[in-house]
Parts: sequence; C-alpha cells; structure tokens
Amino acid sequence: MSAPLRSPGAERGRVSAVIADDEPLLRAQLRSRLARLWPDLAVVHEMENGKDIDRVLEAHSPSLFFLDIHMPGVNGLDAARAIAGRAHVVFVTAFDQYAVEAFERGAIDYVLKPFNEERLALTCERLRARLSERPPRLEELVESIAARLGGPGSEHLKWIKASVGNHVRLIPVEEVLFFQSDEKYTRVVTGESEALIRKPIRELLDELDPVRFWQIHRATIVNVDHIAAVRRGLKDQAEISLRGRDETLVVSRAFTHLFKQM
Amino acid sequence: MSSYAYLLEGLTIRRVLAVTAVCAVASAAVVWLFSNTYPDLLVSALCVGYTSMLLFTLAGNIRQAAFPQEAMQVAAVVVGSCLGTIVAGLVKQRTIAQMFSERLAGVLITMGLGIGVGCVVVATLILREKHSRDQARFHRGESERHRLEKNLLEAKLQLMQAQVEPHFLFNTLANVQHLVETDPPEASRMLESLIQYLRAALPQMRESSTHLGRELEMARAFLDIHRIRMGTRLGYAIEVPEALRERTFPPMMLITLVENAVKHGVDPCCETGRITIRAEESGGRLRVSVEDTGEGIRPKKGGGVGLANIRERLKALYGTSASLVVEERQPHGVVASIEVPAAPGA
Repeated sequence: MSAPLRSPGAERGRVSAVIADDEPLLRAQLRSRLARLWPDLAVVHEMENGKDIDRVLEAHSPSLFFLDIHMPGVNGLDAARAIAGRAHVVFVTAFDQYAVEAFERGAIDYVLKPFNEERLALTCERLRARLSERPPRLEELVESIAARLGGPGSEHLKWIKASVGNHVRLIPVEEVLFFQSDEKYTRVVTGESEALIRKPIRELLDELDPVRFWQIHRATIVNVDHIAAVRRGLKDQAEISLRGRDETLVVSRAFTHLFKQM
Repeated sequence: MSSYAYLLEGLTIRRVLAVTAVCAVASAAVVWLFSNTYPDLLVSALCVGYTSMLLFTLAGNIRQAAFPQEAMQVAAVVVGSCLGTIVAGLVKQRTIAQMFSERLAGVLITMGLGIGVGCVVVATLILREKHSRDQARFHRGESERHRLEKNLLEAKLQLMQAQVEPHFLFNTLANVQHLVETDPPEASRMLESLIQYLRAALPQMRESSTHLGRELEMARAFLDIHRIRMGTRLGYAIEVPEALRERTFPPMMLITLVENAVKHGVDPCCETGRITIRAEESGGRLRVSVEDTGEGIRPKKGGGVGLANIRERLKALYGTSASLVVEERQPHGVVASIEVPAAPGA
C-alpha cells in the first residue's frame, strides 16, 4: 500500500475518526456529542454501512472507527474484520445483550444507544489513553459475536420460488412436504398447495438442508419434519405417509436404509 | 427368493401354534360326528388348518387393490379348507376319485367344518386387527392434535414476548434524544408515534382478534418512526377503504408483514423504498397485503420465522379458510398478503 495520506484534521495533530451507522440522525448525534466531549477529535468521514473499509483507510487513515453493529449490507462486525487491527474500533449498539457481555469480558470499547453522556465521556477518556498503543486484535471476539448473532447464516435454500399463474410465489422451505419430479418439472407440495418449478431434484438436493430434506427415491425428496409414519411396503421398498396429506410416498430400495431402526 | 419373503410376513410360530391348538380343540369337539379316530381326524384338521393359514397369510400380504383385504382373507380360508381336505385325503393315500365318491360325505363335512371354524378364527383376527388399527389411528390423531396445540401455544407465547423489539425501542429513543436537541417539533412527532405504537403493541391480554383499523394505526405509527429514522429512504402509503377498517382481523399479523418489509425489503437495499398497505374485500373474503419495492427475497436468506407464526395462528383461528401468500413483485420487491373470511367488527 502507498504511504497513507494524512487527512487535514490529522495533520494538525488531531485524532481522526470515522462514524459508521445506517441512521443519519444517529450519526449526527454521535458527531455532535463527540465534538463536545473530545474537541481534538475530527470526524473525517461518515458511512452508512461497513462497505469499502480499505478505501476509507487509505483515503482518511483514521485512527478510530465508531461502528454500529447492525447495519444493512456490511455490518459492524464485518467492518471490524476488514479493519483487521489497522485502527482502533469502538462498537455502538442499541441492544445486544450477548455482544455487550462479550465486550465487557474482552475489555473492548463500546457505547450504547441512546447515549449516556458520562459513559461516552469515559469511553473517550479511555480511548485517548489507548491511542498510542497498537490497536488490539479483535478477530476472536468478532467471530464469537458474529456466530452468536446469526452471522451470514447457512448457505441452504430457505425459499422456493414457484410460478403460480402470472405470479411468482415464495414458499418457505419448512412448509414444503416433499419435492417430486414430474417429467420436466418438479412438483413442490405443501400442506395447502402445490406448485411446479423447473429446478430438478438433483440441484435441489445440493441446495437444501440435508438434515431436514432426505432423498427417498430417484424422483422424490421428503421433508422429514412432516413424516407421520413409515411402513414396510412392496418388495424391499417402504411407504411414507405425511401429516396433513393423504398421498403416500414410496421409498425405493436404495434409500430404505435411512429408515432402518437403530 | 428373499424378495418374496414379505409374502410370508406374519407367519409366526405363534400363529402356527394357535392354528394347531384350534385344530386340536375343533377335532376333539367333533370327533363324535365321525367314524374316524381322533388322531386320524386331527391329521385332516391340521391339513385343512395349515393350508388355510398359508393362504390366509399370502392373502394378507399380496399388494392389490381390486378386492378388500378382508374378502381376500375369507376367500383364502374357503379355498384353503377345500384344498386342505384334498391334501388330507392324499396324505391318507386316498385317490381323488375315492374322495369324491365313497368318501364324499366325510370330505364335505371336513370342508364345511374347516370353512366354519376358519371363518370364526379369521373374523376374530380381523376384528382384533381393526381394533388395534383404530387404536393406532386414534393415537396418531391425538399426537397430531397435541402437536397443533403445542405449535399454537408456542405461537401465542412468541406473540406475547416479541411485541416490542428492544432494538427498535432503543434506536428510536436514541433518535428522539438527538431530535430533542436539534429539532424539538420533530422529536415530539416521533415520540407521539412511538407512544401510539407502544399502546397498540402492549395491550393487556390480547384478544384473538381486533379490527383492521387498529392494526393499521399501529403499522402507520411504526412506519412513521422508520420514515424519520431512515431519512428520505422510506416512503409509505396505506390504501384501505374506510369501510374495511371495522372488519375483524387477527392482531399482530399486519405489523409482522410491515416489519419484514422494512427489515428485509427496504432496509438492505441502500436506496429508496416504498411500502404500500392495501385491503380489499370480495366474495366474502378480506385480503390485506403489504407490498415493498425492496430487493426481493434471496432464496438462501432467512426471514420466515414471523411468517411461520402467522401461519400457525391463522390455522388455529380459521382452519383452512385463511391463507398467507408471499409473492414476488415486478420489477422487484415482495407482496405478502393475508386472506381471511370477512366478518364485520363487533
């Protein structure tokens, strides 16, 4: 990276900071509070979310980031990851009990919204004392909070988009009883309705949560949450009956082992 | 061969012993009718019994839909008795011709007795099986009912707990805190909306339905708050005919759809977004929809938790006559709509 450009504020020996919060009024509020409590601090940049941290670091080389945890797009935890120890970080949150506990344990600076003047003053004081030191590494803490707050979530399919007439209906996968291939379409069957999608069983299998969705036949994937009973059927096959539907499904020989008693 | 083993399923040692016992008792009971000795009669009875048992088992395991299983099993006993009597004759080294001439009377009596005793045994078995099936169905029904009750209870509990999200409350208060210093009239407007929202969101014990108007006011207060918080990014409209505001509508469902529209619809796509609430009535159905112009639903992103709650509660309140449908809006965004049977407010 090229030599960091010093921002005008930083050049006069002042501390430069960036505020990231998706709510404009709350950015303005933090800025005005900081101006009052820490006159030497220059807020050199404001962000709506944690996007483009590298560019901001390069353009403004701030020594301090105030990061709201919940921001659409790139949130405060992602931003802290991207900063990766290149600046000090103060987390800002309205209500995240677990995160607050983690901050306390990890001696990480944080402030709660709505701001408490005394608390904010104390944070500023601590930061002033700490600025000369290297920024602490936050990876572990950030990962544990991210995992606790839900993080980016699993990569499994959660919605099925199915055409019904002129509309595209969105069906939450937990409501699907089973998928069954039907010539060139795949039937999506729920307790109340039925729809056709183009995605073949093979592709669905790759994208669905394997804990909940089991293939039981070359042409069928069932949602095990909705199975009412499994019966032994013709030859080495089995038969599944589902809650809230009369139709039964055939488990072909290759998949009956899934239902063998433990 | 082993792939046909299922045909003999149920042919247990217990069944064999039971048939043997029935044959022994039946032979003892009718031995005075015959000139034969008891052992001789027992051999006949066992031939009839075992043949019938074998056919009965096969009839119970063959998968076919043309005849009811019970009819097949009775037929198996009739055929089994006739066949078994002939087998018994062969065992006793008589020819078929003999059986149907000089011994015809004995043969017919044996067949008749086989059919009679067999039918009684089969009837008992079928009744017992039916009883246990009924019992099992009853238990299944019970457990299904318990499951539904549990889901409903959970949905209710969640409803009681999650009325006001702390995040929403504190963020809103932080905005008010700032506005008090910079724009007191706006601060006062925001507080008013917050109070209105809280009044609707925190009532005593919530009844199972309120009227649509009240739910709309709550949604309006919520959207007003977000409009201030999100700056110019959010616009909204409520297009509901005055007459429909008195309609009965379940509580806290509309607000869930509106929250989703803000949170998953407009909020993540960093430009402006618009939310429209509509209601219409036709054919005795009341349809309330929330439309947003946001980024739409990404197939791998969650957000259906509140929706599952709505579905459970709709099912509990209206059975199958209510629905929640989520659809994609063109060119982008989502429309979520709840349809319930229309009922004028009390």
